Amino acid sequence: MILFCQSLVNGLLLGGIYAACSAGFALAFGVMGVVNLSHGDFVMLGAFITYWLFVLAGMDPFLTLPFTLLFLFIIGFFMQKLAINRLVGSPPIMSYLLTFGLHLVIANLALRTWTADFRTVQTSYSGLTIIFAGLVLPYSRLATFALAMIVIGGLYLLLYRTETGRAIRATAQDREMAQLMGIKIFKIYTLTFALAAAITGLAGSLISSTFVIHPQMGLPFTITAFCVVVLGGMGYVPGTLWGGIILGVVESLATTYLTAGISLSLTFFLLLLMLIFRPGGILGKGIVE
Amino acid sequence: MKALKKGESWKGVFAGFAILTFLFGLLLAEAEGGERPFKIGFTVPLTGAFGKDGALVKDAYIFWKEAVNAQGGIEVKKKRHPVDLIFYDDKSEPTSSAKLVEKLITEDKVDLILGGFGSSQVIAASAVSEKYRYPMTCGAASTLRLFDRGFKYYFSLLGKAPEEVRGCVEILPTLSPRPETVAIIGANIPFCADAADGFKAYAEKLGMKVVHFELFPLALADYNTLLMKVKEKNPDVLLVGSHSLVAMRVMKGLKEVDFTPKGVFFSYGPTVPDFVDSLGKDAEYVFAASEWTPNLPYRDRVFGTARDFHNQYVKRFGRAPDFVEAASVAGALVQQQAVQELGLTPPLKDRDREKIMQFLYSKRFDNFYGPIRFAADGANEIHPPVVVQVQGGKLVHVFPPDTAEGKPIYPMKPWKKR
Repeated sequence: MILFCQSLVNGLLLGGIYAACSAGFALAFGVMGVVNLSHGDFVMLGAFITYWLFVLAGMDPFLTLPFTLLFLFIIGFFMQKLAINRLVGSPPIMSYLLTFGLHLVIANLALRTWTADFRTVQTSYSGLTIIFAGLVLPYSRLATFALAMIVIGGLYLLLYRTETGRAIRATAQDREMAQLMGIKIFKIYTLTFALAAAITGLAGSLISSTFVIHPQMGLPFTITAFCVVVLGGMGYVPGTLWGGIILGVVESLATTYLTAGISLSLTFFLLLLMLIFRPGGILGKGIVE
Repeated sequence: MKALKKGESWKGVFAGFAILTFLFGLLLAEAEGGERPFKIGFTVPLTGAFGKDGALVKDAYIFWKEAVNAQGGIEVKKKRHPVDLIFYDDKSEPTSSAKLVEKLITEDKVDLILGGFGSSQVIAASAVSEKYRYPMTCGAASTLRLFDRGFKYYFSLLGKAPEEVRGCVEILPTLSPRPETVAIIGANIPFCADAADGFKAYAEKLGMKVVHFELFPLALADYNTLLMKVKEKNPDVLLVGSHSLVAMRVMKGLKEVDFTPKGVFFSYGPTVPDFVDSLGKDAEYVFAASEWTPNLPYRDRVFGTARDFHNQYVKRFGRAPDFVEAASVAGALVQQQAVQELGLTPPLKDRDREKIMQFLYSKRFDNFYGPIRFAADGANEIHPPVVVQVQGGKLVHVFPPDTAEGKPIYPMKPWKKR
């Protein structure tokens, strides 16, 4: 029983990490219809910013969060302004091509600058755990989970309770109509993409003490984000929390009761089932075309 | 025919003059550059999953080249031929490794080929070198599959993967309290899986109980649940078929699930400098399989003793060499010895390379890396595996006892008490 509970908890915490790393993907996809294949590289950049601030300036990983947020916001802003804005309204294949190219550029620049070394942010509390009712809970994962909640909650509030959020949603629903209503859609797009990059970078910062950091760590996060977003409902931001948790728990239980080898294939099987039977995601609130 | 205008005829003269100058320059360069160099090629992963490990092998060959060229080159029949290295990044992809070796042989027309890093890449690359009958000496791949193909031109400085971890199991009965149960996990890629099989075979031979055995995909990013499952079975020691990324993830995971086996052994990883650098004190007490340490009593004419090699390496790169770097250099050294003793000068012909192949099988070699004798399948059959342990941030050779420089620390201190 304790094994089951522990697997469940591990899965939940892992799900939190997945959700945190995927919310930005859902946002960019939901509003602009851009499948951002360079998404995982924002996670990598966030992790590296924390790593360098930690190593060079001795900053605690949690204190580096504002820097990551700001830096990735700026990167996202310029990426959108200079490149992605040109794609608005063009077929999806164009966004795959462009963002995959961006992924190659970012990942290889990072490789060039930082080499392929495997690094990790090793703080005095790295890997420390608390034991609660016989369950082992690592601090840093708990913190990541909490932050994932805060980010997704914050995003929800922004989208559904503010004027800007309304404009973003309006743009997502009907670009032309929104434009007619006086919404400056390119401004909205730029804001959205920068925001997506910023929260993704934040997630990268958070996982820097639990994951091994290297320039090529990004792509798997893009794939994970894709799965999470499909499971949670494409374009439906709060759904990423559900998507992340389902993915984490399924992976964790499969590893415990079957084998680690099968857990990944099971994930993709789940994805397939979802696309066939419930393309709107687990809550059915995603965009189905 | 139209007569040339004045300007055009001048152009012709200039062009002729330029060509002559160029040719003369080439001649001069040839004369000044001394003997024709040996063109030697290799491919290593510099990016991708094995980017870090592959860079070590690249450093090793560069180190060898610099040492040889500092002596004026490879001396053959009283003349010294410098070494030219040509290398490419195979991006950790076997297909690209094979393609690039073909390019080295057919386009760059290298004289000799050196091995890269990683079993999957080397399997693909060595099939090409075999086709073109280029001997390939490799110090950084050891999966069993390399040796059962009936190849004649593939030579490994390492033992076979399952044998490489022999020391890690043979040390167990010497520890106190004697471990009785082991858990074995490994990444499901050629080298790591072979190492896991080797752990299992030797552990069973020594009468230990294997309470858990599991291979997992390399793509698995989160090891916590897997390790928790192992923790549940409470083995005395954990044996891991790994390379460096896997080893780091396992250590981070072990701490996060709060599991401290009495001993943790890796087939590869902790000897890569990053491991101790990144994990700091969390890397303490970890054991790893190795094939070479600087305290071993070996020597040769190029580098001196194993310790000398180590010291020169530290001076050049600011870090200690890993055993795959020593093995890679040793591979270059035996090919060097072959051309020297056979009196072969570049450019090498196909029959020269056939002679090198026969030469490599013909005798036992001894250099700073230790004894080398290639069995009929190309594996180094007389190299003793050793075990190292991270103690005080340094790798200490702890097994076998006759060459060890320190005693193993066992059991490992629990995470909560560090």
